[in-house]
Amino acid sequence: MSRVENHVESGKDPASKNSSIYAFVFRIAPFVSLFLLVFIWFAAAGDNNRIFPNPLIVLRKMIDMLFNPVAKATLLQHAGMSMLRVICGLGFAILIGIPLGVMIGWNGSVRATIGALFECIRPIPVLAWIPLIIMWFGIGEKAKVIMIFIGALTPIVVNSYTGIKFVPALYLDVGKMFNASTEKQLLMKIVLPAALPSIFAGIRNATSVAWMVVLASEMLAAKSGLGFLVYRGMEVFDISLVMAGMVSIGLAGAFLSFLTSFIERKVCPWNTGIKSE
Amino acid sequence: MASRKQHRYALLTSATFIIFLIVWQIAGSLGLLGNYTPTPYEVLQAFFFKLDNIGPDGSLLITNILSSLYTSFVGFVIAVVVGIPLGLLMGWYKLFSRFINPIFEIIRPIPAVAWIPLMIVWVGVGITAKALIIFFAAFVSCVINAYTGIRQTNPALINVAKTYGASNFYTFIHVGIPSAVPMIFAGLKIALSTSWGTLVAAEMLAASSGLGYMISMARQFGRADIVVLGMVVIGLLGFLFNFIFNIIEAFVNKGGSV
Amino acid sequence: MEHGNKVRVSVRNVTKVFKDKNRERPVLDNISFDIYDNEFLVLLGPGRCGKSVLLNIISGLMPATSGSITFDGKDVEAPDPEFGMVFQRTGLLPWLTVMDNVRFGPSMRNVDKSEQYSKAQYYIDMVGLTGFEKHYPYQLSGGMKQRVGIARAYANSPKVLIMDEPFGALDAQTRYNMENEVLSFAEKEKRSILFVTNNIEEALLLGDRIILLTACPASIKAIYDIPFKKPRDTMDQDFLELRKVISENTDLAL
Repeated sequence: MSRVENHVESGKDPASKNSSIYAFVFRIAPFVSLFLLVFIWFAAAGDNNRIFPNPLIVLRKMIDMLFNPVAKATLLQHAGMSMLRVICGLGFAILIGIPLGVMIGWNGSVRATIGALFECIRPIPVLAWIPLIIMWFGIGEKAKVIMIFIGALTPIVVNSYTGIKFVPALYLDVGKMFNASTEKQLLMKIVLPAALPSIFAGIRNATSVAWMVVLASEMLAAKSGLGFLVYRGMEVFDISLVMAGMVSIGLAGAFLSFLTSFIERKVCPWNTGIKSE
Repeated sequence: MASRKQHRYALLTSATFIIFLIVWQIAGSLGLLGNYTPTPYEVLQAFFFKLDNIGPDGSLLITNILSSLYTSFVGFVIAVVVGIPLGLLMGWYKLFSRFINPIFEIIRPIPAVAWIPLMIVWVGVGITAKALIIFFAAFVSCVINAYTGIRQTNPALINVAKTYGASNFYTFIHVGIPSAVPMIFAGLKIALSTSWGTLVAAEMLAASSGLGYMISMARQFGRADIVVLGMVVIGLLGFLFNFIFNIIEAFVNKGGSV
Repeated sequence: MEHGNKVRVSVRNVTKVFKDKNRERPVLDNISFDIYDNEFLVLLGPGRCGKSVLLNIISGLMPATSGSITFDGKDVEAPDPEFGMVFQRTGLLPWLTVMDNVRFGPSMRNVDKSEQYSKAQYYIDMVGLTGFEKHYPYQLSGGMKQRVGIARAYANSPKVLIMDEPFGALDAQTRYNMENEVLSFAEKEKRSILFVTNNIEEALLLGDRIILLTACPASIKAIYDIPFKKPRDTMDQDFLELRKVISENTDLAL
């Protein structure tokens, strides 16, 4: 017994010393890595700031764009345009996608018809629709919103559908035992709420797809938006504009996903699996 | 009873497809769909046309397919080779994660398509640029799924290994990684479909061949039949990848989960 | 023991056979018994031998292969609100608060709102969850969840309460407390109760009668009238003796 204690005693001292160093390194690690990132960026950029502007130049460019318009709009206005397009396309996708997915999941005949057609079109990536959409609807706002709609529709429909399909049988039994006697009551009071977390996961995916689509569509044909800014930067060979645009895209994208998580937490407070990213 | 229902649904599905194609064909033949919607028959004709004609984009269909496959394969493989070990290490070694995570979180919200202009400026419109764009598309889900996969390792298994005297590294290799495999595969499937989807955009903006380039050129020449043909081929190939991956996945996961 | 009371539910010749692809698996074999008014009837059976299936058939959630269930003389064919069910895995709806879970049954029948709330509050108070009305199920412990399940069943004003191994997932101490509480609820709210368990002591502690089932396929092996006054003493000589008798008559669970 005493030998064991001795062993523990002797093992303890160096370990605790190690662990306090470890704890320190652990705490500062993120700062070290960010510092390194900035440092390497500076080093890589060197004097060649026309091809590879350093962080300071990019930051200055961003601040400059906040007040001085590029292509008739400030940075915030461009970001706002992109967001507005996303919200329109996403809104339509939610309005149509959730009922569609719910019907596909709930009704066998709808699944065998509309669901099957949907499954057939689904493997075509959104971006591959862009040329056809442009031929059909031109390059205006309508075309962009439709592209975003198509991109956002798929994850919403698929998640609504799987959410409905995997509602635990126990909840249905509970509903039936406690007087939810009609199909409509079961659907509205049991199935839909049970599928809500899955539907929201679909909306989260749809948001990131929509963000990607809006950028691609703005690069191909637009006079405003963050995607347009980045592409314009390339065309006029202003790399600081390209990079400032990319940083803004990252910030705006992070904001969008924060917004969806926030709404999700408000709408389904019981869902403990919500990620905060 | 159940099988009769299944039968009815199968019939319903076949009927849906047949009616869909017929209505599409008739509406197109009557000119109800406008100039830019080809009929199914015209798409089929476009397929045979593209087998031995290089117009309007300058390559045969098969050349475009091979070019797209090659580009996405290169980008995807690099993403897997870099992303999965990175995710695994981040999941197992907390200090490493603390170090890498800030950089990863900065890059993550930038969609791969946003890298296209910068890549064009830096490395031109060749295979390198496109492969890098595909890399960015596939990289994120490789990392995230490897990370979450290994984080979900059953702690009891880790304790068993450690009780039997296994080193941390040995446990990482022999317990952590195997239990992350199903999640990694799920991530690879997501990565594959994102990279295939992004490839189209990359080829529309920065390429001289490939399926994305083909439909982009076809649009400029007003050839809706070739645009739709391209979409169908892209869709079919995407479906095929997913199908093959499912088979591999079922084979690898046979060992069952713990 | 005398059962001067009238019969509420009669179960007659119920048989259930599940069909797998090409195999038939009988789970219930010709089961007949009655549930009297205001009695606490315990179904005691080993392991997994179709007790839940029997409850699902009695409550109308699942059809029997043959046989019939009647409630006050009427056939039971669909889920019947005269039965209140306390589910084995609680089956609380995770998106509803404790209050909304408990008033779920009345709300589905469009009972007057204020009555829904006052009734739900009464049973929430009864099961000792006053102050937890706004909590979600994930914020509750296992025992608290099952209390909500019991309150929910009572709030639906059933004539017969069915409890399907409600305490199977609880730790021993919580389980013991809950058993005593169920007895006091039963004292307060006179109802027929059909209680399923695989625990002999639990059966003896609660039941006016115990129906002992065989292993798969389940059929009735014996019916015991339990004469002891409640609350019962588990160390009482007669109690222990009866426990031994039943225990020796019970099939081993595999």
